[in-house]
Amino acid sequence: MPRSARKKSASTTARTEVSPEGWLGSLLDRIAGTAPFDVVSDINAEVTARLERIPTQLNAYGYDPWGFNFDAMRRALVACVLIYRYYFRVETDGIEHLPKGRVLVIANHAGQVALDAAMIGTATFLESEPPRILRGMGEYWLPTVPFVSVAMTRTGSVVGTPKNCVDLLRREEAVIAFPEGVRGMNKLYSQRYRLQRFGHGFMRLALATETPVVPVAVIGSEEQAPGIANLKSLGRLLGMPAFPITLTWPWLGPLGLVPLPVKYRIYFGSPMHFSGDPDEEDAVIRQRVEKVKRTIQAMLDRGVRERSGVFW
Amino acid sequence: MKKVLITGITGGQGRLLAAKLLRRPRRYRVAGIDREPWKHHPEALTFHAVDVRKKSVEDVIRTESPDVIVHLAFIRHFGTHPALRHEVNVNGTRRLLEFAVSHGVKQFVVLSSSYVYGALPENPSYMDENYPLSASRTYPEVRDLTEVDMLATAFLWQYPKTVITILRPVNVLGPHVHSAIGRYLLHSYVLTILGFNPMLQFIHEEDVADAVTLVIDRQTRGIYNVVGPGAVPLSVAIDQTGGTAIPLPELVVRPTITALFRSGLYPFPPGAIDFIKYQCTLDGSRFQTATGFKPKYSLEQIFASVRT
Repeated sequence: MPRSARKKSASTTARTEVSPEGWLGSLLDRIAGTAPFDVVSDINAEVTARLERIPTQLNAYGYDPWGFNFDAMRRALVACVLIYRYYFRVETDGIEHLPKGRVLVIANHAGQVALDAAMIGTATFLESEPPRILRGMGEYWLPTVPFVSVAMTRTGSVVGTPKNCVDLLRREEAVIAFPEGVRGMNKLYSQRYRLQRFGHGFMRLALATETPVVPVAVIGSEEQAPGIANLKSLGRLLGMPAFPITLTWPWLGPLGLVPLPVKYRIYFGSPMHFSGDPDEEDAVIRQRVEKVKRTIQAMLDRGVRERSGVFW
Repeated sequence: MKKVLITGITGGQGRLLAAKLLRRPRRYRVAGIDREPWKHHPEALTFHAVDVRKKSVEDVIRTESPDVIVHLAFIRHFGTHPALRHEVNVNGTRRLLEFAVSHGVKQFVVLSSSYVYGALPENPSYMDENYPLSASRTYPEVRDLTEVDMLATAFLWQYPKTVITILRPVNVLGPHVHSAIGRYLLHSYVLTILGFNPMLQFIHEEDVADAVTLVIDRQTRGIYNVVGPGAVPLSVAIDQTGGTAIPLPELVVRPTITALFRSGLYPFPPGAIDFIKYQCTLDGSRFQTATGFKPKYSLEQIFASVRT
């Protein structure tokens, strides 16, 4: 879509979006416009300029076929860039490995809250040329949560069904998946930087769509919210896949969700190409999955070994 | 020259399709049936006031001996007693399909809808025709329409000599035809669920009529999603059709809609609530590949055609 059309559509949506994220967003915009928040308005300008250049096609109302929205993403990215630069002080390495066109980004998952996904996405948006939006594959229960359901689709994520993933890849989008799933996200502190069992789905999809896999290691996220226990049965009672207990959650209430200000280091590895029958037996698929897992584990080990500290 | 018999011809979509076919008199001859009489129907078509539940429908098929039956005679609104709905929708369709097969009708087109898939949280954004029809899981009020679709599918496999075509269009909007979501959207104040804003696909009524014409011309057999120009969030659709959304928590919306429906004040069954909460959007590529179908109306034009 030509730039002028997209600008027009962005303003249309700002007016027409009659949902709660609309007024929350305009409140954020107002804060960003005031003098003490120069940093924020600078970031806003930077984010807007980069968003104009993402390769995603939007319709006349500013939405892509999956519900991604220019304006909602802009606001989310302003917040993410602030966290990226000033809270986690993210250092990104190897972004040049991200190929153009379809790609599956596979990473370790940890930290109780999916900030690792947000930070990897911010990295590809800020550091890659052209800027890329990563399309997240969400848990099946996320669309049942009010506001979360809207926020996830507006910022480019979808329910993690195979069909969604294949459709996105065929449209040359960049998809991020965490084969550890909640097993990684809610792992205990004692298991930090030890990859949990990987699901096989991503490999079958990579084979079916001939998509390169880019392994990513995130250092820092595994210490941001040290898990002491995971009360799975309580989680099930609340309709969630897990109920983690950390140093701060649930003791400090919502405040307990705030992660520790660890330093993030994100390593992008070189693309791995696989070919073969996507409907192969599990045992054959597992070998390829293990190859990706070993690569990420090696990147994690190296990153932990070489870092100067957890918080700096 | 093809003889086309349209059931439920007095409905919005029926009249639209009839008018479209009549514009090409050398190609089509049109006959129609409906249980309501149609006083001032176009002279070029033959009209029979019969009920699809009655045996006399068979006589009409025998005398008209159509090449194509386009089946549109469904009760889609919920003011009707469920037993009558079932009788007309399910048994009516079964009888017509049986007559069509036994009288050598070449093609039978059923206008189903996207609702048969159901709106479920785990729905992918683009469901293809192989997705299970799960509507009745959360929306028992439309079980009959799901059954109609499955019934036609069963005939499709059982009687390969008859070209059976099942079309599942997304939300239809236009001056004459509104799908259930269309009727809901066109209120001045529209109840929505706070924190949910699913993507909805729309198609213009004229494009649906074109899709039907296309499958008649090409004798296309099979099951097809018929998708319009694209999708927008519910909130944008409400705004673009000239309404005002009233987002309320689900805990309030559900009992309110249920009470209004039970008392007959608001024809929006509680089962339909999921359609304003979760997405039910379809992949239309199979139909595009099979027929080259391209919707003529853009989203802006669709909304403009019903704006109040």
